Formats: sequence, C-alpha cells, structure tokens
Amino acid sequence: MKPYISRLICYGLPLPVFLISLFIGTSKYIDVMDYLGLFYKHNIGEVLTKQELLSFDIYSNVLWNIRLPRILLTFMVGAALSVSGAVLQGIFRNPLVDSYILGISSGAAFGASLAILYSLSFVNIYAFVGGIIAVVITYVIASSNKQLSTITVILSGMIVSGVFIALLTMVQYISNPYKLQTIIQWTMGNLHSASWAEVKQAVLPITLTVCCSFLYRWRLNLLALGDDATHAVGVNPLPDKIVLITCATLMTTTTVAVAGIISFYGLFLPHIVRMLLGADNSKSIPGNIVLGGTFLLIIDSLSRTLFVFEIPIGVFTTILGGGFFVFLLKKNKINWN
Amino acid sequence: MKTNAIEIRNLEFDYGEKKVLKKLEVSFCADKFSVLLGINGGGKSTLFKIVAGLLKNYTGEIALFGKDMTTIDFRARAPLIGFLPQFNQSVFSFTVEDVLLTGRTAFSGFSIKESDRALAQVIMEDLSITHLKDKAINLLSGGEQQIVMIGRLLMQGPKILLLDEPTNHLDVYYQHYLMEKLKKYAINGFTVIAIMHNPTLAFQYADHFYYLHDGHIHTAVNPSIPDIELLEAVYNMSFVEVEKNGKSFILPFGEQV
Repeated sequence: MKPYISRLICYGLPLPVFLISLFIGTSKYIDVMDYLGLFYKHNIGEVLTKQELLSFDIYSNVLWNIRLPRILLTFMVGAALSVSGAVLQGIFRNPLVDSYILGISSGAAFGASLAILYSLSFVNIYAFVGGIIAVVITYVIASSNKQLSTITVILSGMIVSGVFIALLTMVQYISNPYKLQTIIQWTMGNLHSASWAEVKQAVLPITLTVCCSFLYRWRLNLLALGDDATHAVGVNPLPDKIVLITCATLMTTTTVAVAGIISFYGLFLPHIVRMLLGADNSKSIPGNIVLGGTFLLIIDSLSRTLFVFEIPIGVFTTILGGGFFVFLLKKNKINWN
Repeated sequence: MKTNAIEIRNLEFDYGEKKVLKKLEVSFCADKFSVLLGINGGGKSTLFKIVAGLLKNYTGEIALFGKDMTTIDFRARAPLIGFLPQFNQSVFSFTVEDVLLTGRTAFSGFSIKESDRALAQVIMEDLSITHLKDKAINLLSGGEQQIVMIGRLLMQGPKILLLDEPTNHLDVYYQHYLMEKLKKYAINGFTVIAIMHNPTLAFQYADHFYYLHDGHIHTAVNPSIPDIELLEAVYNMSFVEVEKNGKSFILPFGEQV
C-alpha cells in the first residue's frame, strides 16, 4: 500500500467516524438534518415553537449526555488498550501478547475485588497494584528460562491470569450479595453505561500514560531488540522498562475500571498499525493512539446498531482477536524452545 | 608508556559449580586489532560480557583506559565501549535504518536528531549497505544482518569495539571484507577486539593475538607473531605455517598433537 494511503486511513478516519457515531444509535429521535436545522435556528436567536424546543432539548440531551461521553470514553479506551498492547509487545519482544494475555486485566480485577471486599476506598489503586503484581510475576516466570521465548511468555501469562481469576472467584464466593454486586459491576463494566463520570475518571490516567508512552516511542525500538542489544549500546533497559510497564498497566487498569475486561483488542490493533505504518515505534505509537481509538469506536457503533439489543464490546473484540491470533500463530512460525 | 585500552587483573568468574575464568590477567593495547582465540565454551564470550557490563557478579579489577570500570556509569560507558553480541534474531520487521538509529539511544534521549540520520547514511555508505536502508532486518540474510549490527555499533562510535564472532554467518567474501574493514578501523583510532574461531583468517589481518585456555589468557612473547606451539596447546591439534607469494598462512592440520 502507498504510504500516503496508509497515513490517510490512520489519520483521516477519526473525524468522520466520530461524527457518524454521534448521529447513529438505537434512539429513533435523532435526525441529523432536523437537529442541525434546530441548532442553527436556536443559535441565530430565532424563537422556537414549544414543540421544536422540546425535541431540541431531547436531541441535545441524547447527544451531549449519552452519545458524546460514550464516544469519548470508547476512543480513550481503544487508544489505551492498543498503546498498552504495542508497548508490551515491544518490551516482551513478542507479537502475541497484550495486557489480557499477560494477566494484567485479571490481576487488576482481583485487586479491585479485594478492595471492595474489605470496603477500602480508592479501588482503582488496588486494581493497579494487582495488575502490576500480575505482570511482574509473568515476567519473572518467563525470564527464569534465560531467554524470553514467545511461548513461555504466553504460557506464564496464562497461568498467572488463571490463578488471579481463581482468586477473584474465591473473593466473589465469600463476599456478601451487596459487595458481590459491586465487584461484578466493577469487572464487567460496559461501554453502554458510559457517562461523564466515567470520562472524568479515565481522562487523567489515560492521557498521562498515553503521553508518556508517546514520549518513549523511539526508545521502545531499542528495547524491542532485546536486553543484550540494549546493554551493548550503553543503555540500561531497566528504568525504561519500569516506566513503560507501569504505563501499560495503569492504562489497562483504567480501562477495566470504566469499561470492563476487553480482551485481545490490544493484541491485534498494534499489528494492523504495523501493517499500515511499519514497525518503527516512533511512527506506530501515534498510529496506535489514533487508529486504536477510532477502530474501537467503529466496533462499538456496529455493536449498538446491528442488533436490537446491545452486545458487550468484549464479545466482538474476542471474536475478531481470536481469529487474528490464529493467523499470527501461523504467520510467525512460533519458536517452541 | 601508552595506557592500555583494557586492563584486567585477577578476574574470576563462575557459573555456579563451573569456574570459567581463573585469576585472569590481560591487557589489550589501544588502537590495535586484537583477536582472542580459544575453544568453544572456554569463556571467551563470558569475558566479553563482563567487560561490556552485561555480567556483574565477577571478582577482580577491570580498567578502561586506566579508569576503574565500576566507577563508570552506563551513560559514560557508551562512548568508551561497544559490544556486538552473538547474533539475536529480531522479532519485528524494523527497517535497517531504524536498527542503525537505535545505536544512538545512549546519546539522543527521546528522539533522533537529523545528525543521527546523516551519520546512518555515512555508515551505510561505508559498509556498502545503502541499498538495504528501507529493507526489513528480519528478511535479510544472516551475513547482511551481521553487517547491519556492526553498523549499529559504529553509530554509537565507541573507542573500543568488542566483537563476539563478527565473521559468524558470513560467506568467505564477506569474512575478508569485514576483516579488512576492522583492520582499517584499528588504523583510524578504534581499538578492535574480536573473538574468532578461524585462526587462518585472524592471522591474516589482526595485529595482536591472545589465547584463552583453561581460564587463563596466554600470549606469545611477542603478541603480534603467531605462536604455533601455543595454538596447538589450546586447540589440541596441529597447525602448519605455509608460505605463498611472500605471505605466510597458518593452517589447521587436523591431526592430534
């Protein structure tokens, strides 16, 4: 594909997708032309009839309080998941990982459930700690084997993830019904409950960590060549790794807190961006931010218009990602040792 | 007297039970092309990893240009010493230029400078790999990848180049091409130290020879002259010196001594 077409897809898509998402949905009340007409009339100071005023209020309410926060939240979640996926794939030198496969999401869910069980405040902080513990354990198990092989990383991630899911189930089992409900709400968050409150909760941690990953985008190239290659040119990989893994974990925990576990999205989106813009992270990290957000917005818009009832977005990403994972397994001729 | 590029005293290292380096003493001259010979698993790579700062739990003293290595931090080490590890396959399809630019990470912080790109251009021309600039590294041949990794080391521009089997994966033409280059780098003020497995090739190009045997480093009385007896002791086989066109070549003979 010509480079300018790839760039057009990456950077030209967001605005139209954003606008289309704003004006489609299950609500039958919104008609774009109607709304724009009323909006125009209202703003040039013309007096609206009672009927017009009423529908204008409904339109505005749906747009500004239901759809806009959802669109913003979806975009942030998509960007965070795909940037965290790209960062983790680079650090683990493994094209088959994302925050879900490495156990971060499960660790976060367990951390949160524990905080809820003991009625602790700042649930998200415990979720973050849970996520960090999970990813560190995965890293330690995988690297006890001298070289980080693709398969050992995935297997350790699966084990860690499985253990944390088991622990989460145990916490749910011993919780009283009220707390259980809170835990389930926390872990199974969904984009269709999006409101300005969730946007406010997510905007700071996601912006901060995405900016930080953006800053480190070029250094990620070096980290992706491996520890020996990093030491060899006089750079200590450890501080960079700590910063980036912390960012990826905080991104993941934040998305789990506001939208539940969305699996595989962070796995396949970075690959699509790499196909479009190349492997160089100084180009692909910004690509992941923009396309990651946009693509999740497309999936979300489909999920709320294709069927009469809303399907949780995680279902779509898992189906898409599962197929993609198999394709990557074949394409990469995975090394088993 | 000139300071040595690397001065090692009393170096000891073990992998658990197995003692690899025993009270090792050696000094490598600055601005020379030195070659370290020795059998597989003899500890050559271990020695290089220690000097390059990759392995820490050793005992003994190492000085780079007269300065104790433990007092030199990562950032300060980058312009002093660069290391070419035995080759490691890249997982992602970075372009050759991307890979070369990573050699500047110790100096360029968070983004590349225009001068880094210009330097990459010069180095690609010097190594005749300009045509590979936008090719994906993992699709190149083993030899081409090796040349790119050496280019990456030159991007860093360290005074000492430590090369672990640089002629590995290269065909005969490229082996000689690379040795010629390394010799030139030594003349131009780099200190080149390479681990090699081909004595014949090494003796054709390098200035000084070191033999790692049983955890110690041995040198001939004059390190610039091939010492057949030492060579035979190290490899436990016989070597012959052959003269042709006024040049002498060291060839492995094969029979046990």
